[in-house]
Parts: sequence; C-alpha cells; structure tokens
Amino acid sequence: MGMDRREFIKSCSLVAVMGLLFGCRKIPFSEVAGDLPSLKRFEDEVKLAMSQAKKTLDLVKIPTPGALKIPGASPMNRFGMAIDLDLCDSCGKCILACNLENNVPLVPAEDAARNRFMHWVDMRGNAPFMCAHCGNAPCERVCPTGAANHTPDGLSAMMFKRCTGSRFCGANCPVQARKFNFNDAQKLGLARQFNKEVPLRDQGVMEKCSLCLHRLQNDRLDFKTKLTVGVTTEDAEWRGRGVKTACAEACPKNAIIFGNWLDDKSPLVKLTKNRVLYAPRELADLDPSVVFMRGRR
Amino acid sequence: MFKYLMLAGLALFLPGLYALGYSIFEGPSAWMVDSRTFWGTPISLFVFWIGLAHAGTLLSAIFLALDIKLDRRTALIAELSTLVCLVFAALFPLMHLGVIENFYMVVPLLDARGNFANVSSPLVWDFCCIAVYALLSLLFFTTHLKTREIPTLEKYRKPMAWLLFPLVLWVHTVVSLDFAATFVPQWRGAFFPVYFIAGAIFSGLALMNLLLCTEGYRVRLLERLQLIFSWFMCAIWIWDLMLKGSICTSALIFAGVLPQLRMVSFIRENKWGRIALSLSVLLGLFLERLYIVSPEFGLQTSSSLNWIDWGLVAFSVGGFILLFFGIRRYLNMKMEGSSAYFGEVDGNDLADAEQQELEKENVDVRGIEKPKKGFYIQPWASEEYHVLRFPLLVGFGVAIAYAFWMVGQSVFANVDFSFANIVPLLYPIIALVTALTLFVRAYFVEHAFTLSRFEKWTCAVLLVLLAACAGAFFAGGASQGSNLSLDSQPVAVDRPVSQDHARLIWNARCATCHGAEGKFNEKFVREFYPVPQKLDLQRLDSLGSDSLVKVILNGRVNMNAYAGRLTPSEALGLVNYMRSLAKEGE
Repeated sequence: MGMDRREFIKSCSLVAVMGLLFGCRKIPFSEVAGDLPSLKRFEDEVKLAMSQAKKTLDLVKIPTPGALKIPGASPMNRFGMAIDLDLCDSCGKCILACNLENNVPLVPAEDAARNRFMHWVDMRGNAPFMCAHCGNAPCERVCPTGAANHTPDGLSAMMFKRCTGSRFCGANCPVQARKFNFNDAQKLGLARQFNKEVPLRDQGVMEKCSLCLHRLQNDRLDFKTKLTVGVTTEDAEWRGRGVKTACAEACPKNAIIFGNWLDDKSPLVKLTKNRVLYAPRELADLDPSVVFMRGRR
Repeated sequence: MFKYLMLAGLALFLPGLYALGYSIFEGPSAWMVDSRTFWGTPISLFVFWIGLAHAGTLLSAIFLALDIKLDRRTALIAELSTLVCLVFAALFPLMHLGVIENFYMVVPLLDARGNFANVSSPLVWDFCCIAVYALLSLLFFTTHLKTREIPTLEKYRKPMAWLLFPLVLWVHTVVSLDFAATFVPQWRGAFFPVYFIAGAIFSGLALMNLLLCTEGYRVRLLERLQLIFSWFMCAIWIWDLMLKGSICTSALIFAGVLPQLRMVSFIRENKWGRIALSLSVLLGLFLERLYIVSPEFGLQTSSSLNWIDWGLVAFSVGGFILLFFGIRRYLNMKMEGSSAYFGEVDGNDLADAEQQELEKENVDVRGIEKPKKGFYIQPWASEEYHVLRFPLLVGFGVAIAYAFWMVGQSVFANVDFSFANIVPLLYPIIALVTALTLFVRAYFVEHAFTLSRFEKWTCAVLLVLLAACAGAFFAGGASQGSNLSLDSQPVAVDRPVSQDHARLIWNARCATCHGAEGKFNEKFVREFYPVPQKLDLQRLDSLGSDSLVKVILNGRVNMNAYAGRLTPSEALGLVNYMRSLAKEGE
C-alpha cells in the first residue's frame, strides 16, 4: 500500500501540528538575558502609571471586618489593612516600595501604553488600591486548580506553581486587582530580584498583592522558635504583632495601617475604632479585609 | 467537490497554523486582550465551536430519542460535524492557558501530592463535560456508522441517544456558567444557560444546512428550525437590550434580521441563497461570541483585532473544512468502496419524499384520529429503559461513590464547598459510566458485535495511553527547586550538634512544612507547597541517614535544598531529631 501525495501532505501537517503544540513552548535559542533593569526605570514606571491612573473610586460604607466565615479559618487572626483617605496625599511611594519588596516586574512599552501594569498597588481615586483579600473571594471560587486559595489567617494567597493561567480569577475579580504575567519578564530583562525572599514569577501565572505574606511567615517562624526555646512571650498564640507591609512601612504619612482585625492590641483595630470604613462598591458584599477610612464617627 | 473544499480549507489552515504556533510560543499576549476579561479570541472561538458541536447530537440523538425521522445520511453528517467541531472547541481553551503544561491540574482527581482541583470552578465542570461529550459522541457516531454491517447495534442507538440528550444541554449550560458565574455585569443573569443553548442550537443548525448544501440536498425541517431559532434569539437579544442596555448590533443584523429572508421563496429555493443565509447566521453568531467574551470589544474599533486573532479564526475554519471533508471522503472511499456509505447519495428527491410523508401524516391525523405515536413515551415499559437499566444503575453508583470519595478528601476540610458544587460533575460521570457499561456488556455478555483484529488493537492501545495519561496526571511534573532565592550566607563551622540545637533548627527551618511534631503542617503547606512526605519511623529507617542528609542538603522533588544554609552536621543532627520525633509519635 503506497502513500499518495495527499496523505503525505496530511501526515506532514499533522506532525507539524503536534510539533507546534508540544514543542515550541520554550525554545532554547530565545534565551536572551538582558542586563538587569535599573532602579530608575522602576521609578519612572510608577510615575507613568500614576499619571494614567483612574481618578475616581466609588466607595460605600461597610461595617468593621470580623472573623472569617470560611471553614478552617483561624479565630485569632485575620490580617488586613486600612487606608486613611484623610491622610493620603497620593505620593505613590507605596507603589514603588511594593514593587521592590515583591520583585514586581516592569512591562514592555506597548503594555504600559494600554495601562496594563504589573503593579500590585494601583492608584485609584488618588489613593492606593490593592487586592482587598475578600473573605468571600470570588476569584478563589472559580480557580480551577485551587492555586488561588484562602489561608486560615485571612490572606487570599496564590500558589504560583499550581497556577495554570486560565485567567478565570482575573475575569471574576470585580475590581481587576489581579495581574497576569503576559510577558516573560525575566527573558525580556524586565524583572529584577530586589528581595531574595520573594520568588520571581514565571510567564503565564496570575499574581497580586500578597499582604507581604513572607513577612508574616518570617514573624510566625520567629514566634514559634521563641516559643519552643522558652523565651517568654505575652501570648500563647501568634497574632502577627509588629509586622508591617512594605507599603505601610514606606508611607510617609502613615496612611496605610496594617494589622490583625481580630486582635484588640493591633494598630489596625485601635486606629479604625472611631473611623467610618469604606470599601469599593463592587466589593462591599464580599467581606473585604483591606478597607478605606475617612472622617470620624 | 470535496477535493476543492479541502484545498480551500488547507489554504486557510496553513497560515492559521502559523498563527497558532506563534501564539503558543508567545503566550497569551499574542492576541488581542482587553483589560477587562483577559481572554479574547480563543475563548470566543471556543464558545463558537462548542456551539457548532451541538448540531450533531441535537439533530441526531434528540431527533432519534423523540422519534422524529431523519435520514441516515443527514444524521451521520451531523454526528461527524460534532466530532470535528469538538476537536477545535477543545483546542482553544488549551492553547489559551498561560502555563499549558499544567492543564492536567484541572482534572478533578487526586494527585500524588494530595492536590485536588477546585470543583467549585466552572472550568473543572467544563473540562469533564466536554471530555465525556466527545467520548460519547464518538461512540454514538461509530455505532451509527456500523449499523449497516452489524444490525444488532441498532438496539443500542436509542439508549445512547437518551444518554446524550441531557448531556448536550448540560455541556452548554456549563459553558454558559463560565460566564454567568462571574461578576462581570454583562455576563450575569439566570437566562444565560437558555441563551447559550439556543445560540448553540441555532449555530449548529446553520452549520448543518451549510453542510447539506455541499452534499447537494436539503432538509426542510432543519431550515424551518433555523428560522424559528432566529426568532428565539432575536427575542433574547431584545430582552437583553431592554435589561442591560447593550446589544451586539451586527449579530442582530446577520443572525436575526437576514435569516428572515428565508421567507422569500426565490432565496429559499436557490442553493446559493441558502448558503448565504447559513453563512450570515454563522457570521452573526461568531461576532456575537466575540462581543460576549470581550464586552469592551464593541466599544473599540475592530482594528484592534490583530493578525493572530484572524489567524486563529482561519485555523479553526480551515481546519474544520479540511478535517470534516477529509474524513467524509475517506469514509466514502475506503470503508465501503462506493459512495453509498453515508446513505442515499442522490438526495435531491429526498426532501420531496419527506414533504409528502409529512403531508400524508397530517392528513391521517386530521382524518381518522389515529393514536399519535411519538411524544408520549411510557418510560418504564420502553425498550430503551430495559437496555439502560443496569448500566444506569452502575453509572449512578459510581457517581455517588465518587461524590463521597471526593468530599472525604482532606483538601476540602479548609475549602468553602457545598454539595451543589459537585452536582455539575455528576451527570457526565453517570453518562460516561453508563455508556461504557452498556458497550462492555454488549460486547462481553450479549456478544452483540465483534471487533476486527485492527479494532481490538486500537482499543488496547487507547486503553494503555489512557492509563499512561492518568498515571502522568497523578504523578504531576516535578517542580524546580527554588535555588534562585537561596541566600548565600557563609556556612557556619561544621561540628556535631546537640539534640537541643537540632530542635531549634527543626523548629526554625523545617517545622513550617513538616510540623513541630514531625506530622506535617497541612494548613500551612496548602498556602505554599504540595504536601510533603510523612516522616514515620519505618520510612526513615528504610531511607537511611546518609540519603536523608543528602535530601536535606540537595533537596528533592518539592523539598528545597538547604546546602547553603545548613552544615552537613546540622543536617545529620536534624535526621537524628526527626528519628526521635518519629519514635515519640509511634
């Protein structure tokens, strides 16, 4: 049985399809590692992003966040932030601090022109805006692999290695707080590891504000070690006291307050006590952990 | 005729293939993506093709189940078009992923590291429904094709049709839930499943009418149905416009207004007129899919679709034409020697015969009050039920067992999760198991059909491949050690460490994952890593101290390397400490 021309072409094209589908994902010759980008470029990008930022933010009043209602949630900890709109003068220092802390990569010029930055902190309505770590997070509900999930301490966490890049979470986030690695920043020379504790993300995974998860984990480790060595601590349980996120640390006006909503000694609870809390309208029903505050009660 | 169509298909397919390869290489930034949805053309194309894939099952299975007459050739064409459409429908969600090699993580099965897919996600439902739908459609098509040779198979067609009937509606409901379950205002609404099913059937009908034109005959029933569905779609669009204030105008014109020209007899009776009507419907529905997936697309100029988008469209259209007519020709030439395999070739008078039969039936009903056959079916006395009874029982049993097994997985202790989340998975499981049981029983117990040597080999190879895939999914890929983030602190002076020192190191370095008591810390591990190995005494003894020290220093699958951070003696101290922990635990 011979093979006629048509069948030959057909099998050739089939082989080509297979090759394209399975072989071409990472081609060795495309490894062009450029020089590491300078700090100046990161600063410039933050300025560019701030100049393109949305000027309005639709806020509604919300009650103080309480304990999480998801199974397995810790009754002791729920981390979150409050952003004081009365103090914030939208200087943008938090954005740069976050980028350097979490090794957020730069984006190519065409993405920047379309206002598609990787920044975990955006400027919206003249105030920093990041993932609200909703207690009832819509992104986690639709993630097919479980890469987006909730920690018992109230963080909406990302398992980068488990992410398959379906971008369903991004589509389901009502405020578009999630950023997708459309580009291979490491190959394009757009990524730089300022902070060794946070890994660089690969192309094709989702990322977003982690509430500086690594700082919390370091503190927890420290606490546990002290506990076993027998150094006296006030509490038997870890409450994450003394931890600050990079943005909160960088804020010259102390307008970003990080803390534990369930800990009465936390600066977050103390400073929000007599304030009116707000959240973006889209998130008001989703039990956000990161809120805005304005005016006194 | 088919040859020229295939050439045209090839001309579209090859440049499209280039676009596909480029977009896989480049990743999802290759095609036009708006800031809102992250998705773009591949998902539009997915919804479009999965809609077209409804032609086959709708026309063939549902008509068969409801006793509506459809000739063999039309039914076979419909079933074949389903299969070919499914190939392209399945390709697009795969190629649109950011990390394509991780696609298997969507399968709702346990893997070796204790991970489980998130069954609350419509994507997981999608994956299962479409896989089962493809498999059952293939079985249904093959059964139908073989009924000429093996008439005993005819008995199994109707039960299969009854299995496929809910499945086809299920698949498109789940596809619509991909959108309706989200927070995007344009996608919200309980009517989405109905809307998607209607759209799918409408586009499937248009495709069928188009394919029948290439065959050189027409089935008036399908043309009428196409017209009726255009009214239905118009109603939904106008309702949606009044509800949300947005509408895809081009879809309304191409798929809503232009199909009404079928009422003009000159266009209806002309073959090219019918082709134009079907093409217009397909075009309109494609534009509608683009509009649904990227709501901002309507606001932008169409120039923002780049060559990749058009390439992907060309790839799927050309690929469909090539594959469909290729298989069509192959079946005609190879399998029966004459072109009669698909049924009556000279179908020109078929429609007339159908018309006459219909008229005769109408007259009969009006005349003598004959008991009408068809819509009333006695479910428990029907033959289909007797054939399906045992397989269905097995199917339900497996589905219930699966549900219990899955809910019992430790992963779900920390996940907000309700029984309603797994319901969408259950019917596909029931259908799959039922169909497999049906055919396994037919082959081994009832000896209803025999397989040739070649077919037996094919089945065996497919089974082995399936097992290999399942094994690979279970094992998962090895993740890279995070050598990048190692801090290069100088290693301390190497000297033996005490048990207390080892305990300190353990609590500082290892306890996060492995737990302070050596029982792994599952809650924390789920935030970062896959679940680590259990460190019981038996396992530690079987591995030996040396190899454990090596694992600690050099890392293993998901265990990070600690070479820069611990000295070998410290590692040895840790191994001894682990052993003492394991002894305490016994």
